[in-house]
Amino acid sequence: MEQNIMQNLVKEFNFLEGNITQPRERRIFLRVGLDKFTNVLDYLMKHFNFTHLCTITGLDEGENLSFIYHLTKEGGILINIKVSVPKENPVIKSIIPYFAGAEIYERELVDLFGAKVEGLPQGNRYPLTDDWPVGQFPLRKDWKQEMLDKKAGENA
Amino acid sequence: MFSAIFSMMIFPGFLFLAVLSFLGEFIDRKIYARLQNRVGPPWFQPVADFIKLLGKQEIIPSEANPTMFKMAPLFAAASVVTAFFYIPLWTPEALYSFNGDILVVLYLLTIPTLSFFIGGWYSTSLYARIGTVRSLTQLFAYEVPLFMGILSSALLANTWSLTKIAEFYVIHPWLWLMNLGGFVISLIALLGKLEKTPFDIPEAETEIVAGGFTEYSGKLLAFLKLTLNIEMIVGAALLSAVFLPFALTYNSFLDFVIFLVKLLSIIFLISLARTIVARLRIDQMINFCWKYLVPLAMMQLLLNLAVKGVMIK
Amino acid sequence: MHNSSEEFKIPIGPQHPALKEPESFSVALRGEKILGVEIRLGYNHRGIEKACEERTYIQDMYLIERVCGICSHSHSTCFVQAVEEIAGLAVPRRALYIRTLVAELERIHSHLLWLGVAGHEIGFDTLLMYTWRDREIVMDILAELTGNRVNYGINTIGGVRRDISSIQIQETLKAMDLLEERTKYYIELGLGETTLIKRLSGVGVLSYDDALHFDAVGPTARASGVKRDVRKDDPYASYGEISFDVITDTGADVYARTIVRLKELMEAYKIVRQCLKNLPDGPITVRAPRKIPVGEALSRYEAPRGEDVHYVKSNGTERPERVKVRAPTLANVQAVKHMLKDRFLADMPIVIAAIDPCFSCTDRLVSLEQDNRGQENLMTWQALHDYSIKWHSKRGVDFGKLNKKLQERLSKY
Repeated sequence: MEQNIMQNLVKEFNFLEGNITQPRERRIFLRVGLDKFTNVLDYLMKHFNFTHLCTITGLDEGENLSFIYHLTKEGGILINIKVSVPKENPVIKSIIPYFAGAEIYERELVDLFGAKVEGLPQGNRYPLTDDWPVGQFPLRKDWKQEMLDKKAGENA
Repeated sequence: MFSAIFSMMIFPGFLFLAVLSFLGEFIDRKIYARLQNRVGPPWFQPVADFIKLLGKQEIIPSEANPTMFKMAPLFAAASVVTAFFYIPLWTPEALYSFNGDILVVLYLLTIPTLSFFIGGWYSTSLYARIGTVRSLTQLFAYEVPLFMGILSSALLANTWSLTKIAEFYVIHPWLWLMNLGGFVISLIALLGKLEKTPFDIPEAETEIVAGGFTEYSGKLLAFLKLTLNIEMIVGAALLSAVFLPFALTYNSFLDFVIFLVKLLSIIFLISLARTIVARLRIDQMINFCWKYLVPLAMMQLLLNLAVKGVMIK
Repeated sequence: MHNSSEEFKIPIGPQHPALKEPESFSVALRGEKILGVEIRLGYNHRGIEKACEERTYIQDMYLIERVCGICSHSHSTCFVQAVEEIAGLAVPRRALYIRTLVAELERIHSHLLWLGVAGHEIGFDTLLMYTWRDREIVMDILAELTGNRVNYGINTIGGVRRDISSIQIQETLKAMDLLEERTKYYIELGLGETTLIKRLSGVGVLSYDDALHFDAVGPTARASGVKRDVRKDDPYASYGEISFDVITDTGADVYARTIVRLKELMEAYKIVRQCLKNLPDGPITVRAPRKIPVGEALSRYEAPRGEDVHYVKSNGTERPERVKVRAPTLANVQAVKHMLKDRFLADMPIVIAAIDPCFSCTDRLVSLEQDNRGQENLMTWQALHDYSIKWHSKRGVDFGKLNKKLQERLSKY
């Protein structure tokens, strides 16, 4: 089954050749560019019925920020789609039209990684406080706890 | 003059009622706890709670109307204590009576709900507002079956005086069995009046904190709690006078013990109901009262009318 | 009922009797009817994910266990599984069985806890008292097996830390019999008690399509007919070798969720018995390297509340590059808004409770180990003591006299 999905994916999207791996049964990791991301997502949902979004993981990889979308389907096969964007301008598209449940995961990326999510509706932020200093994203590697302490100390 | 003040303030007035209400609260809490497999409080717990609350700081919300906020518990307490004077306790005679006092008692027992409404409403808390609106909504649902249940017994006795009702059932000792249906209906309606589960909707802790009582604290809260407990005692005494007028021996000590047993049995039933059911929703409560309780109360009324017809013949 | 056209908002939380944890729901009401709900999470954000990056794998394991007080084993197992997958460790079968055993015991304790909380939310405190009393049985067993009532600390990278003896097996089996009998009583109660059914059925409806749409997990999804259970879909530990049923229901309301959880309790007893019966012999742990090779893994685990997801990325050192935790409540909380729309305020607590929320799990991340903000706010015990004496003497309380009296009294003895 995993092989089948991988072969079909490569057939449909040539650029995936070499960017797709299967470390163990029921796990597929792949990398796509941001421009083709929604196409791959569409394809997986339509043809392979990947209807459940587990979560979105953010990663700080130095130059780039990467986001991994963990999708699964009945039967337990889990596909991890990694999308990378430059750190200076980390813009991604919201996937709320595909998964309503994605909203809170995307808010988390906004707060903790400073991602800019296009199409994310207005709403309460999650999970940081409303008075969190602007421009500080705690899960980025260059963020240190002292930055927050200093900032808060100045305010006090 | 002095004896009147004594009977109002001490026995069987306010002080006696307060002691009885602490006893009632203790019994209620202990039974509730034992039925739930807990140990429950020691006998002095209600008194200790009361004293502790008296010593706590009193906070009145700055938005609230302080006069209304403070007066509401007083009105409530005054009206339930007054109602108590018209209820025959262990003798067939109440402290005061006149023809029509049954209606006065019923209306006096409505005043606490209204004054809690006023107190809660003027405390301006959102939870209190929802709670008080709920308690008024609920009032219109339980009041009708409660009145019908109690009046069915009065109808059989052919009098509007509680004292006369008691005298009637002393003469006809077995007729109280006719009113058992009315007793059950009134007891359920009383749960609504006392805001006990399943009808504790106005103070549903998990939804609206404490409903109308949310903003009360310190002495005012202590007084409120006391009033609620007194209300429970008065309600139970009313039911026992109207529906359980048996075993009067004219030996005042024995009669007093029997009265206590009756009172505590009713409290036991209230605690039992509290233990075995979940809280209803306000719409379900109103449906229940109008769909089931009111028709049943009507049947009781018709039954009593029929019995009365037979008796006159 | 109340046709007042006045709309108002009431806050449910961050401090509210219906929620035992700090989360805020702002409810727009018209009379008793809920027009809309705004959810604000994050009050319990402790920065565990960031803290994990600064600690070693073994330290992280203990830290991760403290993500949640109830499903602690779920989180630690889920994390450990990911690390073991990256390191390529073959965990001994006996260890896997013990993990499964503790996992199911944890499910039992969590579901019993939920049942009590649900009872409390609808004003049925007797149910709370009964279930929590019975919950003590399983808590005792957990303490007996692992040494702790919560945060069991049974896992280690490459296996488990404690073996179980035959006496413990006998005791656990006895406890299971007792619990099964009690659970049967609760099922009977759930199917028979009118006010319970009245309050639970038709409330908090989440249709099959909506459950898929909002990515609901765990009993919440299963009560809507979605057959989603990681134990079956993506077997971990020893679930592949154990027979059990995935409980689903088509009721899609809170009542269905209650029934699903009750039936899952029965399944849990079955699994525990099988684990104990088939417990293989052998070692309980393999040696794990201190430095985990470069790699990434995604681990899933069926916690009592639903699917728990951990993503771990390693960089070849003894500290992980990234740890991501997605607790089941975060997946379910988004469906709550939908479930509450146009319902009554009275249903709010039970609908929230019905997903079995665990907000501590949900919020993790940015810890402040040493709060340096405003030195004057950090007080030593002595300073606090002095301050209180100063505060009171300013208001006329003379401690000198009191102290003297105390000394006199003490000198008598």
